[in-house]
Amino acid sequence: MISVQKLVKRYGKKTAVDGVSFEVDRGEVVGFLGPNGAGKSTTLRILAGFLGLTSGKVVVSGHDIQTESFEARQKIGYMPEAVPIYPEMRVAEYLAFRAELKRVPRKDRASFVDDAMVKAHVDDVANVLVGHLSKGYRQRVGLADALVARPSLLVLDEPTAGLDPNQIREVREVIKGLGKEHTVLLSTHILSEVEASCSRVVVIAKGRLVAEGTMEELEKKRRPSGLGLVVRGQLDQALAALRGVPGIAKAEPEERAFLPKEPGVHALRCSWAKKLDDAGVTQAAEEAVAALVKAGLAVREVNPTRSSLEEVFAELTAGESAARETSATEEPAS
Amino acid sequence: MTSFWPIFKRELFAFFVTPLAWVLITVFLLVQGMHFFLLVDHFASAGQAASDQTPLQAFFGNTVLLYVVLFLLVPPMTMRLFAEERRSGTIEALMTAPVSSVSVVLAKYAAVLVTYLAMWAPTTLYVVILRQTGEVDLKVAAAAYLGVVLVGAMYLAIGLLMSAITKSQFLALVLTALLVLALFILGVGEFVAREGTVMHDVCAHVSVWAHMNDFASGIVDTRRLVFYSSVTGLCLFTTVRAVDAWRWT
Repeated sequence: MISVQKLVKRYGKKTAVDGVSFEVDRGEVVGFLGPNGAGKSTTLRILAGFLGLTSGKVVVSGHDIQTESFEARQKIGYMPEAVPIYPEMRVAEYLAFRAELKRVPRKDRASFVDDAMVKAHVDDVANVLVGHLSKGYRQRVGLADALVARPSLLVLDEPTAGLDPNQIREVREVIKGLGKEHTVLLSTHILSEVEASCSRVVVIAKGRLVAEGTMEELEKKRRPSGLGLVVRGQLDQALAALRGVPGIAKAEPEERAFLPKEPGVHALRCSWAKKLDDAGVTQAAEEAVAALVKAGLAVREVNPTRSSLEEVFAELTAGESAARETSATEEPAS
Repeated sequence: MTSFWPIFKRELFAFFVTPLAWVLITVFLLVQGMHFFLLVDHFASAGQAASDQTPLQAFFGNTVLLYVVLFLLVPPMTMRLFAEERRSGTIEALMTAPVSSVSVVLAKYAAVLVTYLAMWAPTTLYVVILRQTGEVDLKVAAAAYLGVVLVGAMYLAIGLLMSAITKSQFLALVLTALLVLALFILGVGEFVAREGTVMHDVCAHVSVWAHMNDFASGIVDTRRLVFYSSVTGLCLFTTVRAVDAWRWT
């Protein structure tokens, strides 16, 4: 449905998008992820035909956006980031205007508008002035606008930005429902958003593509990070025993909110050395428990932990330099 | 051009749903009504012999009042056309719909032109009133209205262009007022520059004042028609190019 090849966009000397390539296939819900200022909105605006591109090629539903901009725009339901809507119009009026603008035949217009309002859950404010709506409703009117001409492809720029948690959940529900009938590309800088609604993700940072893959593939990037332990006995002995195990880079007491108020019960955290592979991690975990028991401590809990998606995201978007920094700070502890 | 109608309708709607259009029309009709009353009063007391002009001629020509009204009306009418949409961001929704720049520009221009005509429409009653008491040459009246439409069309096109090149409505208003005024003052130069110089010819050619006097006397000069339609056309064309250029900024 969307094919972006070596897309470059420069504003004067500043390069906003630098050689980004990705594909979105029919029926996918793809998350377009990146920190603020990464070039997400610029890329989507180019896709939607609002901005021109410096070089590269973008094809939407088989139409090159440079040579067949008109046809391409007809295939896309685009929701801009700030959701700009004429405040002096009523919701149903506005959607009827948009439907006419998007060339919905006259006889279908009323039913298409009603349909879009129901899908985006704005049918209860059909006769309210857009200027009087709350942010959450306006966002959904923007969604209804994107839907109104029944495009096969939806491009949504930060559909949940600025909403409260309840509204975010509502909008996510709506988007999930849309994924059944439409191909969706949505941008966000919030990771849980992608986890909640997307089947695949494209990550960009500083205008460059840094990762692309399914949620499972992204999940695989989560490395084992260490062990969370609860033991009963001498804290010093426990720490000494753990530090003696090869493969453990760092061991330290951990503050926990819900620790039993018994004397001698301690929570500990240890992290694996960077070079450890999966087999090494398993072995090191076994050895750590053995070492604790040997030192005369009672082991109550053992939790292998993995780096969170947030950490993976931070690592991807911050690039190599940040990854090296974290390993450098961990080294002296071993 | 299918996208012309929805945009045209929405623009008219935006004009008349906000107080702006009503305030402008009210002020316009008040001023024109006063103007007309004073003229009629003057002609009634002075009698036919006192002047070689007809009331209609005096209403449309040889009067500063017409321009004062136009200078005050046109900039606020055109300032919002593009500047407001660009400031609020609605232009993004508009331009990502399957529309062409030409139809967007023409629809907005047509909407403001229709509003302008609607403003003048009630003044045709003056002609009806004058016919109650005396002879009115309808062809002269038609020529005068043609002049009003041509001058207005040009001013509005200038205003549309100014609104397209800035994101600030206020700046669009100031620029439009300045340009319209500058054009008028250049025209007045006709009476300042010595006859026979190039300056005099240029000034005479663009003199809105002199043109309106001609129109008010029933003279429809094709040079004027060409002048007004070419300036209007040039402004509209430049506006379309300006709209296309946004994609690259």
